[in-house]
Amino acid sequence: MLDFFAIFSKGGIVLWCFQGAGVTESFTGPVNALIRSVILQERSGNNSFTHNALSLKYKLDNEFELVFVVGFQKILTLTYVDKFIDDVQLHFRDRYKNELEQRGPLKFLLNNFEFGEDFHNLLREAEDSSKAKAPVSMRTFDMSQKSQKTVKSMIETKDGDKSKEQGGKKSKNAKKEGVSGGDQTKAASQTASKKAVENGSDGLTAEEIIERNRAKFISKQLGGGKPEKTSKSPKPPKPKGKEKRVWDMGGRNTGELDYSGTNGNNSNDAQNQDYEASAEPLIQVDSMKGDLRGVDYESSDDEDEEVEEEERVVVAQTNKKGAKKGGFGGMFGMLKGLVGSKNLTQEDMEPVLDKMRDHLIAKNVAAEIASQLCESVAKKLEGKVMGTFTTVASTVKLALQDSLVQILQPKRRVDILRDVLDARSQRKPFVITFCGVNGVGKSTNLAKISYWLIENGFTVLIAACDTFRAGAVEQLRTHQRRLNSLHPPEKHGGRPAVQLFEKGYGKDAAGIAMEAIAYARNQGFEVVLIDTAGRMQDNAPLMTALAKLIAVNTPDLVLFVGEALVGNEAVDQLVKFNQALADHSKTDKPRLIDGIVLTKFDTIDDKVGAAISMTYITGQPIVFVGTGQTYSDLRSLNARAVVSALMKA
Amino acid sequence: MDEKIHLDLEDFSSEPFLETFIKEIQKEEAVFLIGIFVALLLVILTVVFFGNFWGSSKARNAVLLLGLCDSGKTLLFSRLLLGKFVRTQTSITESSATYKSKSDRGSSWTLIDVPGHESLRVQIVEKYKAVARAVVFVVDSSVFQKDVRDVAEFLYSILTDSIVAKNAPALVVACNKQDVSMAKSAKLIQQQLEKELNTLRLTRSAALSSQDGPVGGSVYLGKRGKDFEFSQLPSHVEFIECSARGSKAEDGDADIDALEKSLARL
Repeated sequence: MLDFFAIFSKGGIVLWCFQGAGVTESFTGPVNALIRSVILQERSGNNSFTHNALSLKYKLDNEFELVFVVGFQKILTLTYVDKFIDDVQLHFRDRYKNELEQRGPLKFLLNNFEFGEDFHNLLREAEDSSKAKAPVSMRTFDMSQKSQKTVKSMIETKDGDKSKEQGGKKSKNAKKEGVSGGDQTKAASQTASKKAVENGSDGLTAEEIIERNRAKFISKQLGGGKPEKTSKSPKPPKPKGKEKRVWDMGGRNTGELDYSGTNGNNSNDAQNQDYEASAEPLIQVDSMKGDLRGVDYESSDDEDEEVEEEERVVVAQTNKKGAKKGGFGGMFGMLKGLVGSKNLTQEDMEPVLDKMRDHLIAKNVAAEIASQLCESVAKKLEGKVMGTFTTVASTVKLALQDSLVQILQPKRRVDILRDVLDARSQRKPFVITFCGVNGVGKSTNLAKISYWLIENGFTVLIAACDTFRAGAVEQLRTHQRRLNSLHPPEKHGGRPAVQLFEKGYGKDAAGIAMEAIAYARNQGFEVVLIDTAGRMQDNAPLMTALAKLIAVNTPDLVLFVGEALVGNEAVDQLVKFNQALADHSKTDKPRLIDGIVLTKFDTIDDKVGAAISMTYITGQPIVFVGTGQTYSDLRSLNARAVVSALMKA
Repeated sequence: MDEKIHLDLEDFSSEPFLETFIKEIQKEEAVFLIGIFVALLLVILTVVFFGNFWGSSKARNAVLLLGLCDSGKTLLFSRLLLGKFVRTQTSITESSATYKSKSDRGSSWTLIDVPGHESLRVQIVEKYKAVARAVVFVVDSSVFQKDVRDVAEFLYSILTDSIVAKNAPALVVACNKQDVSMAKSAKLIQQQLEKELNTLRLTRSAALSSQDGPVGGSVYLGKRGKDFEFSQLPSHVEFIECSARGSKAEDGDADIDALEKSLARL
């Protein structure tokens, strides 16, 4: 059932591979995709990956630097795969322990790893074990508890006697069960409603309530017992069944609801009062008395509290376990850890990883990203042999630092000037679009980038596609004037370096963008910078409008502008922006965010975690960093400096 | 409070202590003192001497295999070491092994296969650039036309690195995958790279500096005013053709004679 299974070293040499019968495609492509998107992007937390029609599962062996990958069709749900990989890994290690313990990559090249027979045996075992578990058959009615109860005990008598005779384990005929089944369900529902009524305090006096609570308390102290049964002694007055609900205004005639007469008599500006009353018939007077009510989200609050409590309980348990282990092996563990080779286990790394996770979160990395990163580092280090005089903490810190630098390295070439030169040689303008939420600095950084481009000798056209915010067009016009005064047209061969293309307010942004690009092509502008309005990621119509602008105009670069002050919000913003762009594009390969502009970087001193969150989520590089409000405050990202600021205590 | 402060000051004043110390030293005979000084001097000299010695023995004897992803570095690594064909995947970590060159002297180098993936290559090159004696830059000749800008950017970042520019290791550009019919020749690749690096000189020097000042080298490649040519570089540059896979893949040998010859000449 498996399409392929491959064992290769982390240096890239394939030790052994197996290709299923009838599989013609080589597995190199999918495995490379797996490596590039999961392992190298530090998403190794979850160990499965889908590529086209294949589903891939993998396991890292960090002691001998091996990777085990299995691939099978996505539509099959094979339950034995996880256990199978573990078995294969253990088997392979045991069998080739001697060869693998040699040093250097030559061990992979020199030795022949013949694993075929063992593999097929293990596969057969795994498949058999998965088939052996027969599906659990449903219980018959005779085996259930309900058949043990008598019919009489389930019938509701009118005097409210709820004695459930649990005795009488007579077996019944199937027909009788069928007939009485319906009665039983009706009776059950009636008992339920009656129980509810009884437990409520309707119809009970204060004394009886106290008595009932006292009885409940005693029964709890005794441990167990059903409080409803023990509180039977003072019989509560029988409720008359369902009480009719009384509405405040219901049942009265409409004469009482007609306030027109009183309004006209009491006030002086009778007409105003009439207008108010008729225009706002829905507001009930006296409903806003007292403090303002909070925003309605009680239900989700309750759920959150429950989840939190569960998490707290689980965390407390794991902490206790960890503390116990630490107490016993503490002394020897310390010595062992310093000298000699020691394998890293999950328990060793956990306290360090927790501390690192908290440290990252304190440095403004989004919480889920910090935990995913720590899981990925744990996976990478599990089973690794530490050298002498290295502690667990130092190994983990080093690994985390490496993975952070890896994340911040751009996955593709980031050289805007080179691309603009290319576009110039092809005689078409290079189009950059700026998008982001409100107030992150799109227009300011657009001005900074156009200043940089002008300094390098390009002509820039700014398209004012922010047709919503008051003053947006005037802001860009002021920037244009200032830039032109800094770089007078005489220096640029007679034409102004920057020009603004605007069509006022209220128009369609995508249309303005299209016209701006056509104008730039006609007039020979080399770069077009499109400024869009800020929009919240939850605002569906605005996201649709942005997606339409990008899909229709196909800019060369879509830059997402995000501020460095943002915390967990960054994840939500980027995910929803990418989602909107992907959903509303009509092509197979939608244009997603190509790069990130990180603004307001001078306001954070070393809480630089937003950079990590944004690059991790999108996988796109940070192209510009804004460090102030003047034109020269534009930088590129220095990965090492950011990571050292992050890891600083 | 005043009393307490007074006590502290008395504790920390070390002048009377120093005086007694000096008096004690002066009581000893001069010969003894000279002996102590000579011993100290010897220790310092040994440390300095060994430091130099160790520093020089860390001679640059590493040959780095660099290149973009999928250019054939790992296969070349295997072929050079053992002449063996292996299936390869994208490398995640670097591999290093000793390589005995086929020259008369039989000198041996450390051959280091650096992963080509963008997120990994910078860190690993940082680790090994100081001990690099030669750089074998592997280029995929069959898809070169598409990747010319990425290849040039990587080559540019290596050549302008300050440490690399100072040491000037020999550069061998191996145009790999010559067995593919659409492969470009070494001469063509050289011309295209020269043109591309020429443009990159302008755009990269105009690139934004990072937050804490310019990143990477501020080295200017070649001569100003003239078009860039590889002959202008201080290191010895060679363009050769090779095919790690060979004409018959698993069974045959690789066409890496030219590469082996240039490695022998190091």
